[in-house]
Amino acid sequence: MSNSLMNRILLAVALAVAYVGVPLVFGGNAYVLGLIVAALTIAGVAVAWALLGNLGGMVSFGHAAFFGVGSYTSAVLAMKLGVPVFAAMLLGGLGAAVSSIAMLPALRLRGPYFALAILAYAHIFQILATEMTPITGGAGGLLSIPRFPTVLGFDFGDKTGGYLIVLTIVVLAALAYDAIRRSTWGLALKAMHDTEVATRVVGVPSTHLKAAMLVLSAFITGVVGAFNAHFISFLDPDYAFSSGWTVLPIAAAIFGGYRTVWGPVVGALAIYLVDQLLFKPILPHGHQMILGVLLCAMILFSPGGLMPALSRRPVKENRHAHA
Amino acid sequence: MKRTLAHLVTVSALALSVALGAGAAQAKEFLLGSELPLTGSLARVGQGMHEGISVAVEMANRSYAGKHSFKVQTIDDETSPAKGVAAVEKLAGDGVVAITGGYGSNIIGPASEAAQKAGLVYITSGGVSPELTQRGYPTFFRINNTDGYALAMIGLLQDMGAKKVSIVYLNKDATSSLARQVNTALTAKGVTVGMHEFDASTSDFKPLMNKVKLQDRPDTIAMVGYENDYVGILRASKVLKPQVKAVVGVWSLATAQMAKEFPDLMENVYGTSMLPYPVEFTQPEAVEFAATYKKLFNKDPDYLGQFGYVQTRLLIDAVVRADEAGTLGKGGLPDELRKTDANTLIGRVTFDKNGDNLNFTHRMGQHQGGKVVLVWPQDAANGKMNFPAVPW
Repeated sequence: MSNSLMNRILLAVALAVAYVGVPLVFGGNAYVLGLIVAALTIAGVAVAWALLGNLGGMVSFGHAAFFGVGSYTSAVLAMKLGVPVFAAMLLGGLGAAVSSIAMLPALRLRGPYFALAILAYAHIFQILATEMTPITGGAGGLLSIPRFPTVLGFDFGDKTGGYLIVLTIVVLAALAYDAIRRSTWGLALKAMHDTEVATRVVGVPSTHLKAAMLVLSAFITGVVGAFNAHFISFLDPDYAFSSGWTVLPIAAAIFGGYRTVWGPVVGALAIYLVDQLLFKPILPHGHQMILGVLLCAMILFSPGGLMPALSRRPVKENRHAHA
Repeated sequence: MKRTLAHLVTVSALALSVALGAGAAQAKEFLLGSELPLTGSLARVGQGMHEGISVAVEMANRSYAGKHSFKVQTIDDETSPAKGVAAVEKLAGDGVVAITGGYGSNIIGPASEAAQKAGLVYITSGGVSPELTQRGYPTFFRINNTDGYALAMIGLLQDMGAKKVSIVYLNKDATSSLARQVNTALTAKGVTVGMHEFDASTSDFKPLMNKVKLQDRPDTIAMVGYENDYVGILRASKVLKPQVKAVVGVWSLATAQMAKEFPDLMENVYGTSMLPYPVEFTQPEAVEFAATYKKLFNKDPDYLGQFGYVQTRLLIDAVVRADEAGTLGKGGLPDELRKTDANTLIGRVTFDKNGDNLNFTHRMGQHQGGKVVLVWPQDAANGKMNFPAVPW
């Protein structure tokens, strides 16, 4: 059986478990399902961050800005203009994508300079959300944001509904990431990693491609932020633009393997669920410390992350196969 | 005769054993839930409330000994709204009868919404934002509110005869709301008010206080923020030395902790406080509260512990009443809690239809030589105010 076919079967099984198994097993346990939703929210941002880092070659410390803009856009549209929640969520993504246009001048920068510039942009958006009190509610934020509606008798506003929505967002984001990676755009972006000058010489519009990745990454993050606003039903600038929305997804992506498509998802699920379900009951105060140690160990022993480590065949087995 | 006596003794013994057996069958253990920030930026205040909750459970176990017992399951929300929601859901899943705790209106909002969905009572003293009660959730209760803090600050400023007040306030929901309320009330009384907003990330208050000093030239500075903000404002003021007669703040200021940690900054500063420090109690319940607090935590109680105690004790008493009425398992706890009319360590508590305690009024204390002396209102004062007086 070829690797490609094997991967497809594994993906189909994983999706079946995610869409059917998880709601059946945890549907009655709001706490565990709530934690899985929170982990998938981080996974969504982690996929968007990895897309920008892996394909665009840009390390962003400012994804909290897209998350915040997406959440505020969607919440304000639904609360003040009565836009249906699902439409508002997509418009939230659009708002984040538009906000990323303001960051395009930073594409001229590379490495730490780009990271620093995008971090500053994130802070600007947080200040805007705080100061635009008539629209955003200022520092007090917005309470009782409309929840997801009931469609054809299925309540998307409850835990299972929220889970299915965020799962779909994450799956679509990962599939989009995979599709781009396999396309000619993906090939051009890979070539850019090796030498941007050479790719420009052969006519690859590198700046356009990087801009497209930034806008797409912002859109995905914005949609995830919008989802979170309607799921939690609350927003304030400190929460919506919290550095946690940048740091945790980065940790998740690196832990899972940010150069793989599903690594960020596996990483987010692993670090969040293990931390909350395993470490927190053992060590209520300071459980994050164990997580930090685990992350350090992962970087030291498997710099590529969890997914490459899991898919790596044991040395003995290889030797045996060659024999 | 002997046979009759023996028969009587047997019947009495049987009756007694049935009565005792029935009593034992009615004795129940009630599990309360508590969701609090024990780590993160609100850890210090969360810990304070947690101590008060523990004292309430300890005292209730003593007073209901032999009849009922109480336990509390606490989950740290890590000062995060999403984890506050998760904590409430976990507690609901673990079968708690109600939730006591919560700090910060931004966390209490979504957490109490999760409690409402689970049909659980959520009682707090950690969120004073008006929006919390405006939602009209039947399961939400709180024992304090912005009005009580504003009334105390306005009352003290009026008694001082303040004519020009600069209000320096944090741009959060609860702090902005309180600052606006004080501004409106003082302006209506002919006092000149200057409003100065600052952001939570502000660490150097010198530019702001210089503006207050040179532009406003107030006779009183009013601060509405949290511990770190007060320290920053007072440090800047100590450098710039504005010519004012008093510096007044609200919560988290007139506390034993602040007196111990920042003695040079706190002298003569006013803040809301239900208790003097060292604590002076005369009521039997208050004396027992202070003694239990000392026993459990080896220190004197502060206002956070006092609020945590009161909210939890009111909840426990309502749980017992609902259980006796047979309505606890049928969603009768909110109605029972709404019937509360009690004289507590923070004064009279009753709840309106939105769960707010409209009787709540705070008191004002002043830091004097390492102590906190209650100076307002007159009938609660245990000393005279130093006026005019500032820390510099």
